[in-house]
Formats: sequence, C-alpha cells, structure tokens
Amino acid sequence: MKRQRFIKWATYVSLTTALTLVLAGCAAKGGEATSSTDSSAAAPAVAKPVEGGELTYALATSPDTLDPGASGFAVSHRVFRNITDSLVVQLQDGSFQPWLATEWTKSEDGKTYTFKLRQDVKFQDGTPFNAAAVKANFDHITTSARGQAKSLIGPFESAEVVDDYTIKLILSQPFEPFLSGLSSAFLGISSPQAIQQYGDQYGKHPVGTGPFKFVSWTENDEIALEKNPDYNWGPPTADNRGPSHLDKLTFKIVPEEATRIGSVQSGQLLAAEAVPPQNIAALKNDPQFQVDQAITNGTAFSLYFNLKSDIWSDIKARQAVQLAVDVDTIVKTLYLGTYDRAWSSITPGLLGYDASLENKIKPDLDKANQLLDEAGWKKGADGIREKDGKKLILRYLDGSPNREKRNDIAAIVQQQLKAIGVNVTLNITKDTSTPLKEGNFDLFGNSQVKADPDVMRSIFQSGKEYANGGTNWSNLSDPEIDKLLDLGSEESDLEKRKEAYTKIQQYLIDHAVILPIYVFPYTVAHPKTVEGLKFDLLGYPQFYDVSIHK
Amino acid sequence: MAGTIVTRLLTSLLVVAGSSMLVFLIMYVLPGDPVLQMLDGNATSPEAIADLRHQLGLDQPFYEQFSRYFIHLLQGDFGHSRITQDPVLPKILEQVPATLALTFVSAAVSIVVGILLGVLSAIHRNGIIDVLARFVGLFGISMPSFWTGILLLLLFSIKLGWFPAMGSGSWKTLVLPGIALGLVGAGFIVRMVRNTMLEIISEPFILTLRAKGLAERAVMYRHALRNSLIPALTMIGVMIGELLSGTVVIETVFARQGIGRILADAIMAKDIPVVQGVVFFTAIIYVSVNVLVDISYSLVDPRIRRST
Repeated sequence: MKRQRFIKWATYVSLTTALTLVLAGCAAKGGEATSSTDSSAAAPAVAKPVEGGELTYALATSPDTLDPGASGFAVSHRVFRNITDSLVVQLQDGSFQPWLATEWTKSEDGKTYTFKLRQDVKFQDGTPFNAAAVKANFDHITTSARGQAKSLIGPFESAEVVDDYTIKLILSQPFEPFLSGLSSAFLGISSPQAIQQYGDQYGKHPVGTGPFKFVSWTENDEIALEKNPDYNWGPPTADNRGPSHLDKLTFKIVPEEATRIGSVQSGQLLAAEAVPPQNIAALKNDPQFQVDQAITNGTAFSLYFNLKSDIWSDIKARQAVQLAVDVDTIVKTLYLGTYDRAWSSITPGLLGYDASLENKIKPDLDKANQLLDEAGWKKGADGIREKDGKKLILRYLDGSPNREKRNDIAAIVQQQLKAIGVNVTLNITKDTSTPLKEGNFDLFGNSQVKADPDVMRSIFQSGKEYANGGTNWSNLSDPEIDKLLDLGSEESDLEKRKEAYTKIQQYLIDHAVILPIYVFPYTVAHPKTVEGLKFDLLGYPQFYDVSIHK
Repeated sequence: MAGTIVTRLLTSLLVVAGSSMLVFLIMYVLPGDPVLQMLDGNATSPEAIADLRHQLGLDQPFYEQFSRYFIHLLQGDFGHSRITQDPVLPKILEQVPATLALTFVSAAVSIVVGILLGVLSAIHRNGIIDVLARFVGLFGISMPSFWTGILLLLLFSIKLGWFPAMGSGSWKTLVLPGIALGLVGAGFIVRMVRNTMLEIISEPFILTLRAKGLAERAVMYRHALRNSLIPALTMIGVMIGELLSGTVVIETVFARQGIGRILADAIMAKDIPVVQGVVFFTAIIYVSVNVLVDISYSLVDPRIRRST
C-alpha cells in the first residue's frame, strides 16, 4: 500500500520537523537580568488631569509572577509597582523620602533599621496595614527560593514588631543599599491575608496598598488592573495624592515589535514599550506622538574579559583591544543616536558615577598594535598575530536572541579587531551559562539593573564567580577591589562610599577588565493625549499620575 | 473497517508516547543548566543551587527522572512549570481552544483556497487563473508565514484598520493570522490538486465519460475532482502538522493566546515540564487529525471501503 507508506513517511517527517523546532529553540539563555530606568522623560506640565479612562499599555514580554517577593523579572515590576507600595521612595538624586513609612532611624552599628509606619493605610482587600503585615512580608520573602527580593535585602536577618506601627529590620552586617532595595517594588508590601489565603498561587492574585487593584490575568493576553478608590497615600515623587486619574490600566503582552508599535500608531492601544531605534525617529517627527526615553540605571552594557583566559589574562593584550574597538561608531551605527555610549561600568544616574572616565579612552590603532608587539604577538602570513605557534584568538560569547542588537555589536567588534590582527570567533548561543561556567570564552556582554552601585559587588568580587552561582563573569580576583566593594556596601559616610566606587570604576578601565558599550534607554511610545507618564530611578514607568486627554 | 481504525488508534498511541519520550531525551541531553538559569545569577551559594536541584529532582539519575515523569503522566499529572509554578495541564488546556480555532481557520483557508484554485487552474490550464493559482502556490510555499503575517498586519490592521492587530477574543482576531498561516497550506494544496487533476484528466476513463456525452461539469467535478482528492486529503493530514508548528510563530506575531506561544516561551526558559506538555498535546492533535483523514479516505473512495 503505497498510500500508507506515504502517510508513515509523512508522519516521521512532520515529527522530525517538530522535534527540530524544539531542539533549535532549546538551551539556556545565560545570566542576564533585565530591567530599565529613568530620567530624561519629563512629561510636559499637565494643566489639569482628566479623570477616568483606560490606559492600554503593550509590554514586550510576559511577567513570570505578580508576587513581588518571588519575581525576578523587570517586566513583572512594571506591573506590580502599581499594585503594591514600598516603605520608602528613592528620588532621582538617589536620596530617600517616606512612603508607607513616615520616618526611620538606623542604629549606630548600621545593622538595625527602625521604621514608623503610616496609620491610615489599608490593603485593597480591607486588611489593615501595620507592623505585623510588614513582618509577614519579610517572612514570606525569606522563605521563598528565588526572586530579586532576596538579593535586595542582602544580609537581612529578622523583622521584629515593636508596636502596632513600628517595625525593626535587623541585618547581620551593615548594608548601605538596604533602603534602595526597600524602595523597589520587588520589596513592595503585599496583604498578609492574601499571601496566606492564596499560598503558592499568590502570584496570580496579588493584593497590595497601591493605586491600582488587580482584576485578572489572562496568560499571553492581558493583565487588567483597576483604580483603587480608597488610595490616599501617594509617594512624594508624584503630583497626585488621592486615587489614580485612570479608571483602568490594562497591560497587553505583545512580543512582536511591528505589532506592538503598529497598534499604537493605529490607535488600537495607547502606549507601547521597547520602541526599536528605527521607529523612534519616525514617531518623534509625528506631531501626534511622543517617545519617552528613560535611562536604565545599573551596570552599562559592557564586554567583560575573562581574566582566567590564557591569552587575555595579559593586560597589554586587553588594552590593545580597548584601543582598537571604536565604541562610538558601534553605538551610532546600530542605535541611530537613540542610545548613549557608556564610559564606565555603571550608568551616569548611579551614586558615585565617575564622569572623569568620559572621553578618557580614544581609539588608537598604532598604540594597540604597539602593545601587541610588546606582548610578543607577531603578525603571521594571514594577518593574524601569533606567538609560540599559537594564534591570537578572542572567543566572543553572546546570548541569543539578538536582544538590543547585541549580536551586531559582536560582528562589528570582530571586524574592527581584524585591523590589529586579532581573530575574533563568535559564539552566539541561547546557552551562555555552560561556556560561562566552563570558562570557554574570552569576552562576554552583559548589563544589570539596580539602583545602587553595590550592584558591582556581585560582578567583581572574588568568590562570586559564575561557577559558584554568582555573576563575576570576569573572574576578577583582587583583594584591593574586594576591600573597596565591601567598604562601599558597609560605609555610611556618603563621600567615602563615592570615593570607593570611583576607585573601582577607574581600576576596571585602567586594567581593561571591561569595555563599556552603551546605556540602555527604556522607551515608551504613546499619543500626546496620554499625559503624566513618569519614570523612577530604575527607569520603571509610573502610571499613578497618568491621565488621558480627549 | 473497524479493525483498521483500532490498528490506527493503537499506532497513534505509540506515536504520542514515542514523541514524548524523544522530547524528554532531547531536553535532557541539551546543554544548559535549568537551575542556574532559574536563579539567573541570583544564587546566594552553591548550597542554594544544590537545594533547588534536589527540590526539582534533577540530582537523580536519568532513568529515575524519566520513569517518574512517565508514571506521573499516566496518572494525568503533567507537573508544574518551573518558571511560574503553575500546574502544566490547566495552563495548556486554557490555551488549547485558541490554537485549535486558529488551526481550524487556517486549515479551512488552505483547503478552500487550495482546492478551488487547484481545480480552476487545472481546468483553465495556462490561462490567467492558472498563472494566478501557480503564483499563490509558489507564494504560499516560499513566504514564511510570519512575514506574510506582518505584511497583512501592516496593511489591513495598521493602515486600513479593518482587523485588530492582536488578541484572541472575537472572530475578527482570527482573520489575519488565519490567512497568513492558511496560505502556506494553500500553496501546497494548489500544486498538489492541480497536478493530480491534470494527470487524471488525461486518463482514458475521462475520455470514456466525455465520449458517452456526460456534461463537462459533471466530468470535472463528479469524476476528476473526486479522484484527485485522495492525495489532497493525505496532504491535509500532514499539513495540520505544519499548521501546528506555524502557530508557534504566528501566535507570537499577532500576540494571540495558544499553546504555540507557551511552547516558544517555555523553550526559551528551558521550562521542561511545559515543553513536554505542549509536545504531548500537539502530538495528540496531529495524530487524531491523521486518524480522521484515514477514515475519510473510505468515504471519498469506495475502493478503499471495499478493500478493507
């Protein structure tokens, strides 16, 4: 029976196709924290906000969970920031103001924080907000296995209820980034009643004290929130104090960028995040639309050298690469002037950013060639340098999919380094974690989002190598840097902290440990009728002040 | 007849079980440590990593993980997503209707457009319709569905505003993705039907029919078309597999719900229980459609009914 044989054959072919698809997509995505930040997006002065209406906002990816204490995704933060409030709020200048806490004190030894809480606040389910509720949140976080919250509280030890509206948070050692962590929505306060009621399904039924209440979450489609009419405790960063202007806030999950941006252009949605550079210019020229850009603070996207690599443990070789890579050209070519070039390991919005590094390194091929000559690398017949019969190879590791055109950066670097006789081999893979763990790479690109320069401690401190579950991609191990990182984490004198971070940033550039490339702007496109959209220090959008004009 | 169906059902079970096992094996041997990925650099210590690995049962030998998975599967327990902690089965069941609706609409587009154009182009060989049909055939086969999808979207949704660009609520949301995906299948069917029709038209029995004075319409539609349908039916069975894999991309482009979209996300995140679950369901849909196609042969072709 010919026909049956054809069916069988066809079945195998289709199954193989399906399996190939699965295979092609498989593998790990490597260590990468996403997120975004803020600043330049000052909304025009709003005359008088219009009440009512629904803001539809397209997200590029889907949240993992809406339980702030368990989530690791920036996109989740964008959603649950509206549902939960924090004890304190961090201003653009890095200082802190009261929010759910009215005041706080830090003990002499820097290990105990005592917060006085607002007494007029209620959760959306009617549960009163008090010290016991805050304690229940910290207990919830410390028992959960993962999420950003756990790393934000650092050496947190215990929470102690002093009286109904006073709580003590006790650390095992001083930890200066603590307040910054507390201001994040990852440490937003949830209703203890809801945490208990929903158990491990709490992430699907979040309840907080925030300006918007959770309504529903249809997976891969939308997350619907509505106004919390009782809200009366807006943070000092907002113009509003009472309930939100919007009646409804709906997040649509639209991964394809053409669909996401097109929906805003055609009026099917009111706002979309992650606007591609090629659309930014066009939308900016359209009188009906506006593109807000907010800098994502944390570490800039940088290329990290693997200091344990045979060839690239030599500082002269690294410096040659530093001088040969023309970062300005890369950033201008790929992002059409919509991204800023980075000069340091951290972004300009962070405490202690060292502006003296700007324009310090300029491309200089002669000097680069000279450095490689000095290091004993001689050009071979094929233009690639050699030493003791070994070729000068740079194994460049980058993640896939091609987020923010990072794979294109790799391709340009490969071209540029040919000029000084370095052979760059590209390894673009979904599974960056295996080569990172095994040390099979020389250069790796990454960025992290955090509101405090202490973010560098997890990236540059010895003992936090990737193989140990940390994020020290460079395998940097220098007791001097370790000491400075600890000092930055524990020192309460602001000037001394800044000084420590300045020294670290200069070390990273002077020793060519990293090549900073760009600072990522979080972008939002919306018609000009949408007003009052603001961004916090991390570049997360704030919807509380938003209103929609006719 | 009944015997054939029972045999087909039994082999179908083997196909479903086999594909699940293969995928389990592939996901197991693929590089990438799901635990490191879950923690995403947030691990506090090697002990925390070991803890989570133990919690997920990933520290056990392969055969134990494998047998445990299948024993649970037989009990109807598909496990929990490693990212969201949700149970996998309800998560998939919630999304299956959207994918079935899309597959159904795109299959309808493929079959209607494919058969209609295939027949017309065979009848009007080398005419304008034939040229058009051959263009549709070539276009459907060679254009990736996501690209067609984006073009349709730009024109009919963003420029003209006739259809929504995204979502999976009303029937309107099915039109553009249904066409984008359906054109791929239509491309295959047009070519298949056209070729078979041309072959059959040149056969002696058609000449006989014409000689006995049967109207041309009856010759074409009652005799030539019915005889051309068997290969087309087989094609449709296979095509369902193509359509199901196409939903992975199309559901993402049109921001629709569906199991293809969950699969894409789960693969990226190496969320193995979810990948397993979706593959299992896809295999079931694929196999069921092919059983139906087998059964329908006998309806179309009496010779098959008699021979079994």
